[in-house]
Amino acid sequence: MASAPHIAVIGGGSTGIGIARDLSMRGLDVTLLEQGNLTHGTTGRMHGLLHSGGRYAVSDQASARECIEENRVLRDIAGHCVEMTGGLFVKRPEDSEEYFQEKLEGCRACDIPAEVVSASEARAMEPHLAKDIDKAISVPDGAVDPFRLVAANAASASEHGARIETHSTVEDLIVEDEEVVGVEVEHASGAGERVHGTEGGREEIRADYVVNATGAWAGRIGDMAGVDVEVRPSKGVMTIMNTRQVDTVINRCRPKGDADIVVPHETTCILGTTDEEVEDPEDYPEEQWEVDMMLETLTELVPMLEEARTIRSFWGVRPLYEPPNVGSDDPTDITRDYFLLDHAERDGLEGMTSIVGGKLTTYRMMGEEISDHVCEQFGIDAECRTADVPLPGSEDFSVLRDYMDEFGLRSPIGRRSVERLGSRADEVLKTDGPNPTVCACEGVTRAEIQDAIGQSGSDLNAVRIRTRSSMGNCQGGFCCHRMANELHDEYDEATTRAAWDELLEERWRGQRHALWGEQLSQAMLNYALHATTQNRDNDPADGDPVDFAAFDDGVEPADGSPRGGVATDGGEYCGD
Amino acid sequence: MSDAERPPTEFEPAEPNTGEEFEPVDVFPDSTDFDLRPGADSCYKCSTCDTNCPVAEVDDDFPGPKFQGPEQWRLKQNEEDYEVDDSVMDCSNCMRCDNACPSGVPLSQMHNTARGEYVENQMSKLSVEYIRNRILANYRTSAWFASKVPRLANAVMNFGPARWVMEKTMGVTSEREFPAFATETFREWWDRQGAAGGSRERARENRERRGDPVDADKKVAYFHGCYSNYNTPEVGKAMVRVYEHFGYEVVVPEQRCSGTPMFANGMLTDARRHAEVNVSSMADLVEQGYDAIASCTSCSMALRQEYPELFDIDGVEEVAAHTFESVEYLRIHEDLRGAIDETEIDGDLAEEFAYHAPCHARNQGLNRQAVELFGDLDGVDVEDVGDSCSGISGTYGWKAEKYDKSMEIGEEMFEHMEDTDGETGMTECPTCAMQMEHGTGYEIRHPLELLEAAVVE
Repeated sequence: MASAPHIAVIGGGSTGIGIARDLSMRGLDVTLLEQGNLTHGTTGRMHGLLHSGGRYAVSDQASARECIEENRVLRDIAGHCVEMTGGLFVKRPEDSEEYFQEKLEGCRACDIPAEVVSASEARAMEPHLAKDIDKAISVPDGAVDPFRLVAANAASASEHGARIETHSTVEDLIVEDEEVVGVEVEHASGAGERVHGTEGGREEIRADYVVNATGAWAGRIGDMAGVDVEVRPSKGVMTIMNTRQVDTVINRCRPKGDADIVVPHETTCILGTTDEEVEDPEDYPEEQWEVDMMLETLTELVPMLEEARTIRSFWGVRPLYEPPNVGSDDPTDITRDYFLLDHAERDGLEGMTSIVGGKLTTYRMMGEEISDHVCEQFGIDAECRTADVPLPGSEDFSVLRDYMDEFGLRSPIGRRSVERLGSRADEVLKTDGPNPTVCACEGVTRAEIQDAIGQSGSDLNAVRIRTRSSMGNCQGGFCCHRMANELHDEYDEATTRAAWDELLEERWRGQRHALWGEQLSQAMLNYALHATTQNRDNDPADGDPVDFAAFDDGVEPADGSPRGGVATDGGEYCGD
Repeated sequence: MSDAERPPTEFEPAEPNTGEEFEPVDVFPDSTDFDLRPGADSCYKCSTCDTNCPVAEVDDDFPGPKFQGPEQWRLKQNEEDYEVDDSVMDCSNCMRCDNACPSGVPLSQMHNTARGEYVENQMSKLSVEYIRNRILANYRTSAWFASKVPRLANAVMNFGPARWVMEKTMGVTSEREFPAFATETFREWWDRQGAAGGSRERARENRERRGDPVDADKKVAYFHGCYSNYNTPEVGKAMVRVYEHFGYEVVVPEQRCSGTPMFANGMLTDARRHAEVNVSSMADLVEQGYDAIASCTSCSMALRQEYPELFDIDGVEEVAAHTFESVEYLRIHEDLRGAIDETEIDGDLAEEFAYHAPCHARNQGLNRQAVELFGDLDGVDVEDVGDSCSGISGTYGWKAEKYDKSMEIGEEMFEHMEDTDGETGMTECPTCAMQMEHGTGYEIRHPLELLEAAVVE
């Protein structure tokens, strides 16, 4: 091959990053452009369910089959991102028996391993299920960490030569003679790793082909080239609990409905969700009643949720798409399947394809299909290897290590670290220097933070999604400043402050919807700490570097002895 | 129709028909485990527990109660093969973190549970540490043997070369002197006094003297624990005399170790075996109207808090609700202050006492009771030596590798004791007493002994 075609992939969610990995593994030259962090859009705002396909086994068997197939693939190639929790479809007395049978038959028709379990068996598996449930169907649902999955795909794509640009917004498509030939990109802070305060700029990127993988934002990209992509964004709320009330994915076994799933996720449970169409994927109301309704409904399945602590809520927008002639009124009726829209065939615009719809579980399959399509455009016959080659971190590894001997870490911290890092654990955790715990809630040490900084620059939210630091019960109250501190040396004060501000802002955003009970106490404590010890409520240094030398270093002792004669508690300083 | 005239109703008291489905009373709602989720939810990480932890203060390698409790629990909650960090064995189980927590996190329950898991699943049953801890935790067994030959035991246990060997092979510090075993145990004495029958007679005489009804419903079951039985029977005797003086019938039911040293060493199976005996005998008595009285604040702590937190034994909640510390109970039911106002102490107890409140007394809200009670007693002075931990925490200070830390924790208490005028200490806890004596050379008395001197002629 003379020179590999250059493909611009727009969108750094699971779909875009899956495409970038696939194409780069096939030897194509890839540039991926994401307007925020990786997972910034819908991928980072989902409940983390690795579908068995059971949820679609009645309404959408094609999707169900894809799910179970990809479920098996991901267990293999993304072991360090997946926890095979198993799942249950739980029937309450008021739920339809007919539907229960349909669900069971549907699962079997789609080759999804499914067994009926009695109420007492289900409660033996999950003691916190409601006492009055009828029975359940067990399926191989699991939990997947979308952040880790996307970061690992990005790392793999980079290893294969892809250029990954975050905080780089596509402002326009370059169209010449009815063909898309490139994109115009606004970099928030220059190309490469993000560093706050670095001057950004516009870049024109010429590409032989453009893939629009922007999900709920696909219409916006389409508009730039004058083509209609009728994505119907639909919002859903998810609420994160402080602990795991269940260790199995709990689905309500009824046709469709809001608030019907609890997914155990790392140290937490994520409750989901609602389904309501919105106009703008970036601007929609986040309302408390959605959270209240969800907690109330899910209490029917897991009663202890009523009293349990929630740590935050977040909303995501589904990139639903339906072909123009269907016309569903209710977003829950819209298919969860994905569609590949070749704008040459569809709109007479060469050089670009949009991929819309779909779900995280099938991200790899979508990537494969669109990569095949792209390769076809260039007559390239390269095999897809993404189903066989494990992601970085998912090569063979064991979580059963001697954490203290090998890494100098306390057992639960070592265990969590190794679970997150997978086969990269030795490379990251074996450091010479001291390795204190930075985030105590999630057990994240300096070494892991530094590894993430190495991958993502000064962007602490990017560090957060890679490590889970600040995602535990204090929601960053005790570690955001420690994370910011880790930027020191490499990055200057202004950069560090900007990154810290951004992280705090993001952490508060989701906590606003959990401000009662224990999380309210937590928020009050965080506020008091940040305000009184870090001056975060009113930062006089905002924008300007702090003149540390101007700080008062204490009263001159009357007897003329050097400063330091007085201990901080007011007592006499008697040490040396 | 007036309000007084009610329409006929279908309600038949003998056969309730309220329309509600019968729901059996579930004593342990989630009977398979003692759910720690709500406890983990309560922690907002303020670290007050860490700043109150006496071990963390002197041991830089100890990660503190917040880590041992809610943090570790949350990090390991979903993994069956998850190991408990070995630092849990460095916790002394003083339980000050329970008291320090502003948010009601059941820290000691979390520690006890984790420690139990650690010992059960991760500690080699052949290791010296395990064997040593098991022997220390089962003090009652050693004490039982020793009590058969108290004089010999006292000689052997403090025989230099023997202690050197114990330290080298078992890791039991040779710095401390073993407590002396009494030549007559409390229970032997009690039997000589006619046991329950004798007590009933004496109680009745005293009721008559006091002008109480002869059949007054005043009866208590004494939980003496191991130490007042084998080592300081004078405390048990004082308890009996004081209670009988106020007209109480005392019974001394069958009992084993409260379990405190076993909790501290993660020996939950041993602790449960003993707890079953204790709860069983106390529950029967509670049902008959007795209250359980302990003179050791760690024993009352175990019955009140640790048992219901850790064991689902029949009657455990009822026993917990009816357990009191000995002075506490009298302060609730009797006019102790009145009794004390009328009297004066002379003789060998006319002293200035350096009083130390045991951590476990603090957790029961009893840390000021001795100072308040004896404040008006003529002839004595009781000075509180501050709110620090004594540092011995039962078996903790007996471990060779913990001895120095134990003494470092105790430093503050020793200094404050030295600052008092007298040379006598006072505390409710037998091992705090050992530490106080070890650090200052003071003689240590129990508040019951002073109370006896004050009110019993």
